[in-house]
Amino acid sequence: MTSPLTVIPPGERAVRRPHGDGAQRMGFFTDTTVCIGCKACEVACKQWNDLPADGSVFRRGGSYDHTGSLGANTWRHVRFVELLEPAETGYLPQIPATSGDLDLVGAAEGAADMSRWVFMSDVCKHCSHAGCLDACPTGALIRTEFDTVVLQPDVCNGCGYCVSACPFGVVARDHDDGRAAKCTLCYDRLQDGLEPACAKSCPTDSIQFGPYDELVARARGRVRALHERGMIDAYLYGAGDEPEDRLAGGLGAFFLLREPPERYGLPARADSPVQENVPQATAAGLGAAAAALVGVAMTLVGAHRAARRSQPRRRLSRRA
Amino acid sequence: MTRSEPTGAGAGAGHRRADQSAAKAGERRSRAAEARRHDEAVPDARDARPATGKPASPAGWRRAARGARVALHQRGWADARWSFLYGRGDTRYAAPIEGDADGVAAAARRMRLETPPPAELRGPFLQPPVWTWEVPLYFWFGGVAAGSSFVAAGCDLAGDRRSARLARAVALAALAPSPPLLVADLGRPLRFFNMLRVFKPRSPMSMGSWCLSAFGGLLAGAVSADLLGRRRAATALGAATAVAGTYLGSYTGVLLAGTAVPVWARSRAFLPPLFICTATANGAAMCRLALTASGGTPEGHPTRAALATVETLAMATELAVSTLNERRLGSLAKALEDGRAGRLMRAAKWAVRAGLALRAARSAGPAAGHLSSALFLLGGLAFRFGWLAAGRASAEDADAVVTASRSGQRLLEPVVRERLVVERRHLDPAG
Repeated sequence: MTSPLTVIPPGERAVRRPHGDGAQRMGFFTDTTVCIGCKACEVACKQWNDLPADGSVFRRGGSYDHTGSLGANTWRHVRFVELLEPAETGYLPQIPATSGDLDLVGAAEGAADMSRWVFMSDVCKHCSHAGCLDACPTGALIRTEFDTVVLQPDVCNGCGYCVSACPFGVVARDHDDGRAAKCTLCYDRLQDGLEPACAKSCPTDSIQFGPYDELVARARGRVRALHERGMIDAYLYGAGDEPEDRLAGGLGAFFLLREPPERYGLPARADSPVQENVPQATAAGLGAAAAALVGVAMTLVGAHRAARRSQPRRRLSRRA
Repeated sequence: MTRSEPTGAGAGAGHRRADQSAAKAGERRSRAAEARRHDEAVPDARDARPATGKPASPAGWRRAARGARVALHQRGWADARWSFLYGRGDTRYAAPIEGDADGVAAAARRMRLETPPPAELRGPFLQPPVWTWEVPLYFWFGGVAAGSSFVAAGCDLAGDRRSARLARAVALAALAPSPPLLVADLGRPLRFFNMLRVFKPRSPMSMGSWCLSAFGGLLAGAVSADLLGRRRAATALGAATAVAGTYLGSYTGVLLAGTAVPVWARSRAFLPPLFICTATANGAAMCRLALTASGGTPEGHPTRAALATVETLAMATELAVSTLNERRLGSLAKALEDGRAGRLMRAAKWAVRAGLALRAARSAGPAAGHLSSALFLLGGLAFRFGWLAAGRASAEDADAVVTASRSGQRLLEPVVRERLVVERRHLDPAG
């Protein structure tokens, strides 16, 4: 019999297999070198998960990317990274006016300045040390039998802690719905043996889905192949790292990149902020609070003692 | 009355005309019925249910029999296994790997950690915190309640039962608005009870919810014991309340520190003590004002004098620790200095400084003492609103996020921003 209250022990391993050996860790390997920026994955994700559109605005600061960023209703987002010739004053291309007539000639001329134009299909990283999972006070966020991190919308009460606890800016709270939302790695499809919608729709196999170990092995081989071809800047973001360099304990959805991570809006280092900061913060807070409690008590006791020491004389004099 | 009949069935030759009109009417009727049936079959609202299950949930259907095959179902995600790109040898997509010494980890370290970040940072890197005014207001109320519980326990120890009773009443009054504020801040307020669905020591918010419940229960018990005149029970429950108050007053700082927001996370060792300082000072100030208002404690009463000392010391500590933390934060402290957060933090600091100055002026009368207590309370409130606003600004500041993620995390090491900027200017291909 299960008790109505689930106790989650502090020593719980971030990655565990609640269903025994039947299931294995599944993940995404997103290879940005073959991404063509078609955004089919975004569309497929929205269609399968019934997510509303977020509107279409060219990103402020200049970019042809017009679908914003990851959010409560965008669980896959193809980021456009325009790299201009070094001679240019900045990195930002001249984007044609978003309202009125579209200046196609100007757009083409702006594109000519670009030395490279890279795309990256961003998604929830399904971290081994998941900040959102550590932060969630209701147990709405769970780790599934596929070692993915899934938010159960029927449990979430919209406290918003996971939003701030995600070091990758993935989880968001929908304004109208009130609950947090993020990629589920198509948990419903996985259970039926189907690959996630975004990976299914990817026309260039930039998004690859499969058993985690197989994916990591293939990704390592890919990096090696690129290195052999002279692309020595190719590297894996989130897999194949030495233990001390790991990103959030290793990412269930990892990427092959060729630029510093900040170009893609990713942090160079990340870990679950809860695991990183809470023990020290709690110790500091409880220590300070104990000191404050003792200080308050001592001040009060001291003041009363001093008063009592001076009072008897007064009482004596009053009696006299 | 109008029955739809099969058109033309059993129509005699002699009544062709009448039959024709009757047939037409019948056809119209059947067409209307068909349209009605169609309307009933297609609901007004779009059926938004996904093909199988619903997002983030197990599929809603069951197999007819155990192990039965489902159409399109492929074992082992076979649909993901075939690829024109990597499934065949002739694309040379990936090289064969031999052992672990393939330079993959070294390449990641070189590109991810040793290559400086680009000069132009384009976020967003983090989602800004979603918390609104209810949360900092709750932080303040919770702090006053925790501080008052300290005062009550101290008064019990000192033998001042009357002040202890009053301090517990103040704590209860400060605690009362806290749960409604927290519920109002939820995206789904009616599901507030889900907070007590799990007991999760890892999550500060879960522990905070449990602590708030325990504190509230103990405090209500202590106040009831006071009302019933059970002195020993009130003292014991009051002491337990104060112990719970140590976490209630500090976990709010832990909550902020346990996030990815740079200015909060990098203040992890300082935020909870800062919150405790203001909580203690505000609890003492509120109790002192309540004691004065209730009458019965004359001007020179030792409890009032001691509370004034506590307020002054706690607020002076807060000011000092705050300044130390801002020095330490280096460029990350920008979020605490600019914009709305900066205005709130400056207001808080000036309120505290004015209160301390009034306390230092010995010649000032009792009214000045009350004014400084009020200033400390306002300062504590502005301080909490300021920290919340700073978190929003910090999460939206791409420079701050990158600086925090790139620099080390030692307790007293300043977050070096300047070095990073210089490196970037030298090494970035943009010049």
